[in-house]
Amino acid sequence: MEASTKSQKFSANLDSLGHIREFITDSAKLAGLDKSKTYKLCLAVDEIATNIINYGYLRSGIENGIIDITIQITKDQLIAILEDTATPFNPFDRKMPNEEELKKPLEERQIGGLGIMLAKENVDEFNYLFQNGKNLNIFSINL
Amino acid sequence: MSTLSVKTDISNNAAIITLEGNLDSSTAPQFHEAVQKVIPQNPQELVLDVEKLDFMASAGLRVIIFAKQKLGSTAKLILVKPQDQLIETLKMTGLLFSVTLVDHYPE
Repeated sequence: MEASTKSQKFSANLDSLGHIREFITDSAKLAGLDKSKTYKLCLAVDEIATNIINYGYLRSGIENGIIDITIQITKDQLIAILEDTATPFNPFDRKMPNEEELKKPLEERQIGGLGIMLAKENVDEFNYLFQNGKNLNIFSINL
Repeated sequence: MSTLSVKTDISNNAAIITLEGNLDSSTAPQFHEAVQKVIPQNPQELVLDVEKLDFMASAGLRVIIFAKQKLGSTAKLILVKPQDQLIETLKMTGLLFSVTLVDHYPE
């Protein structure tokens, strides 16, 4: 298969989340991903998009924000790149719950950190870069 | 735009919340509101019918954790027919330790 690239811009509000998942699902279909991998990619992207919208843009008071999503499909990978011009936000700086925390009864659990964890654990590779004033969140799935 | 339908029933000592559609950050407030509504009834069982719930992000997990924290350790959290992908998320986040999965409610 020839490598292919497509991209789409979404306005940075929570109502876009459903559209973003649709775009990811359609792209996954093109790449021939199965239902489980497609869901996992949607979940990972949804979590990071939510953070960009809520923290990067809204909480920083930036209006009319955009999330630009590019999908690259190669012979053996699907790569989804989320690009935004919001406040720099490195998901790897966030503390994630450790093994011990995850085993605690819910009454004793901290509520935060799950989103980033789901973003990392549901794809084969997850990377973050801040480049030319833009946040880049890069997800890779092996085909 | 994603949509979520939330239906709430109280019967005996159980609160049953039926969730259909997509539970993400845009729709989680509806689920949160339903949970807030049943907490004062002090149900011994919180039953989430999720058979037709197609997607759940961490925003939904946070509401479940919140509910359990409010209801206390003696209250039982029951999930009816979660889809495979949701079970996978519960496993990954450790929530599976704290919920009971059933095929029907009442059993």
